[in-house]
Amino acid sequence: MTAIADRILNIPFVRRSDALRTFVVAAWLGWQIESNWADPFLFAIYSLARPIASVLILVVMYAVITDGAMEQPIFSYIYLGNALYILVSSVITGVSWAVIDDREHYRTMKQLYTAPLDGYAYLMGRGVARMLIGTISVLITIGFGLIAFHLPIRLATIDWGLLLLSTALGVASLAAMGLMLGSLTMMLARHFWAVGEMVAGSLYLFSGAIFPLEVLPPWLRPLGFVFPVTYWLEAARRALLGPQALGFPTLAHFSDWQLVGILSGMTAVLIVVSGFFYRWALHQAKEKGLIDMETAY
Amino acid sequence: MQPELLTGRKAYDETVSTTGGDGMNETLAIETRDVSRIYRLRGPRHKDDPKEIVALKDVSLEVRRGELFGLLGPNGAGKTTLIKILATLLLPTSGEAFVDGLNVVTEMQEIRRRIGMVSGGETSGYGLLTVEENLWMFARFYGLDNRTARERINMMLEVVGLTDRKRTKISDLSTGLRQKMNFVRGFVSDPHIVFLDEPTLGLDVTAAREVRSFVRQWLQDHPDRTILLTTHYMAEADELCDRLAIIDRGHVLACDTPTNLKRRLQREAIFRLRVGPLGPKPRRDEMIESVPGVRQVQVAEKNGHTDLSLILEREDVLPEVLAHLTRRGSNLISLEKREPTLEDVFIDMVGRGLDVDTSHRVDQDHE
Amino acid sequence: MSEIREVEKARGFSLFWRTMWARAYPRIIGTTREKSWAFFDTILPLMSTVSYVFVYRAINAPEEYIGFVVVGGAMTAFWLNVLWSMASQLYWDKDMGNLELYVLSPGPMMAILLGMAVGGLVMTGTRAAAILIVCSLLFRVTYQTGSLLLLLAIFTLTMAALYGMGMMFASVFLASGREAWHLSNLLQEPIYLVSGFYFPVRALGFWVATFASVIPLTLGLDAMRQLLFAGGPSLGFLSVRTETGILAVSAVIFIAAAHVMLRKLEEKGRRDGRLIERRR
Repeated sequence: MTAIADRILNIPFVRRSDALRTFVVAAWLGWQIESNWADPFLFAIYSLARPIASVLILVVMYAVITDGAMEQPIFSYIYLGNALYILVSSVITGVSWAVIDDREHYRTMKQLYTAPLDGYAYLMGRGVARMLIGTISVLITIGFGLIAFHLPIRLATIDWGLLLLSTALGVASLAAMGLMLGSLTMMLARHFWAVGEMVAGSLYLFSGAIFPLEVLPPWLRPLGFVFPVTYWLEAARRALLGPQALGFPTLAHFSDWQLVGILSGMTAVLIVVSGFFYRWALHQAKEKGLIDMETAY
Repeated sequence: MQPELLTGRKAYDETVSTTGGDGMNETLAIETRDVSRIYRLRGPRHKDDPKEIVALKDVSLEVRRGELFGLLGPNGAGKTTLIKILATLLLPTSGEAFVDGLNVVTEMQEIRRRIGMVSGGETSGYGLLTVEENLWMFARFYGLDNRTARERINMMLEVVGLTDRKRTKISDLSTGLRQKMNFVRGFVSDPHIVFLDEPTLGLDVTAAREVRSFVRQWLQDHPDRTILLTTHYMAEADELCDRLAIIDRGHVLACDTPTNLKRRLQREAIFRLRVGPLGPKPRRDEMIESVPGVRQVQVAEKNGHTDLSLILEREDVLPEVLAHLTRRGSNLISLEKREPTLEDVFIDMVGRGLDVDTSHRVDQDHE
Repeated sequence: MSEIREVEKARGFSLFWRTMWARAYPRIIGTTREKSWAFFDTILPLMSTVSYVFVYRAINAPEEYIGFVVVGGAMTAFWLNVLWSMASQLYWDKDMGNLELYVLSPGPMMAILLGMAVGGLVMTGTRAAAILIVCSLLFRVTYQTGSLLLLLAIFTLTMAALYGMGMMFASVFLASGREAWHLSNLLQEPIYLVSGFYFPVRALGFWVATFASVIPLTLGLDAMRQLLFAGGPSLGFLSVRTETGILAVSAVIFIAAAHVMLRKLEEKGRRDGRLIERRR
């Protein structure tokens, strides 16, 4: 990993850009910190046991009620939504956790913010490792679904363009949300890491991850339409499942490219807003002297 | 080593009249007989054979009731290991130890009712509780009733000057204030014997002075209680302790009153010299130690000059040393003859200063 | 030599009692002191419970299942508390330097663990109640109120066995050192699954359900569902009477095991010199 980072850092335009250089170094650092994920015991817990148990809870719930009718489109909807959702929590909490980790565990916050680096790019970079590990869990969970429950996904019919583009946009929007939460964390005590979990939990509830938005009471449904995750999950399902994914009315009237368009717009707005929010939060944290606070209880 | 010297009976000539059930002298608060402690540490790989670290070797000490007894030694000397054994947190590998007449191996529960412990740099307690609440919690662990606990907490907070902070959450306390709270915690249960393990570690000068004055005052108010203090601050040991044991690499090298320990060096001449730069490290036969009559040399390079701390067998060795320095191209800036300190005693016995960590890397936790 | 003036200190049961409540105190008072913390602790399980309710709605499950999820969701608060604030607690306490002082004090370690459990139970009870009330109102869950006394007895036994298990885990986790954090993580979703927090455990088949019955919440939850819902008995794993008996035996076993393991742990700590004190 160090050799790869070294090579990227030697590319002239990366070397010249504060933001890119910071991003690459932060991604490398995040990877070094998270590298113990490859330990077989930890891999078994975080990449196998937890994600598969969490999807199996839904599988059993579904099987108990439907007598095991796994071929129904709603099953693939629930299964894939839950699998892809692993990325949502790992990206959002990955970025916001970096603030607490640096501040209270490694206690490097002071050094970081007195170094000539781009703080925004740094936090984004720190989230990369968790995103990669999350991606592995997503792939394992989907692979498990293919083998154990015959999810109707065929490699030949996957719309790779739509999948990759929507996922890149989805991840970028999640990273921007994570960054806003990380910025918020700069001003708050340690246990506010739960804010990240809470936002991830709300998205689970309101973005049609494991049930179509129509199930929600009408007054709650509009919430789902303001989150980019809703559009990403829909686009990713369509790319993976093909026409079967269109069986749910929530976003059926949007074409694939309309979904991508909405997702792009929302992501762009979130990135801009998160940049401003980050600067404001940093200023607040410095003003209140919270940049290196420790809140161990 | 002479047994008289180890137990310091020359300084304390009270006669021993009774003995306890285990044969322990009842006028003693603490007694250890040939206590050794060996740690078996595994390497990073499980297959590696455990490595043995001798933290204490045949330590025999007697601490009388009412004494403030010090254990003086560098990091890694074995001081904390000994305190842990006496505080029932660690078993000795061999030998016997008694606290308040009770065996540390077989009567730990009863010992725990009678002792208190305060360590330097302690971060115990719960941050969301106030000073008063944390102290109340620990007082209850010692079986104090509500009223007594509160009365004693209030009284002791007053003594250490923390009354105005008693409703402050401990997460909001500075290091110094937190250590004062730790002191109250260690003493609130009215212990017979208190173990103070580097109690002023990390404190600023004022806080350390306050802590020392608290200790002195407590013993004055409770002349029948005992304190065992470990420290590597010479001045602290000199100022506070009735008697001291100098400990290094798990061995007790000497045990006596500070005055008697320093008296051992009265025949020697102790000088502090400031000279010009000494230049590159010389060959062994060109070192100051090679001058006949030089017992110990401590060298410290500072801002373009060199400070030398010399223990000479006789005063008339000094001209030889100065001639030696001149030969090495160094000039004398200042010279001072001084009284021996505990540090000199330590250097004389061990051959190095107290600021040198003698522990092996792997056993730093087991000093 | 002057006479030592003793401050009176309790022994025996009185010392045990004082130690237990003293250790429970930070947990009970913590609820009022860190309100935002309590908020997150309630809101997170609440949100997953609500999500699972909507999954059942999406697949047109009978209304009883909504009630099953609500009760299961409320009980997750206790499981999380046992994992993160009981099993891992001695490890955190060691990290903070408290464990050494606990061991050093004459207050029995069992009383300290029981205090943690009582405090945790009070603290979590309020959160579980909040989840139960909010979700029941939100989804109009109807309960049958047949044998309240039996329900209370089962809940009490479940908690005794569950926190007894937590007390036992505390020693296990402490011995496992830094792996404790990972062990707690491992026992989260997989236990939600095998213990049937969100569906009747019978659905997993006899052997899995039997294996999962080691976790007291499995049988406790199953028995409570059988008593609370009209359709409960038909979906139950074992009879309520059998489950109650097993829970009572589990409670005794876990508490006894906790006692034995604590003693072994302290012995080992004193022998090795590295289990109790904080590693800097």
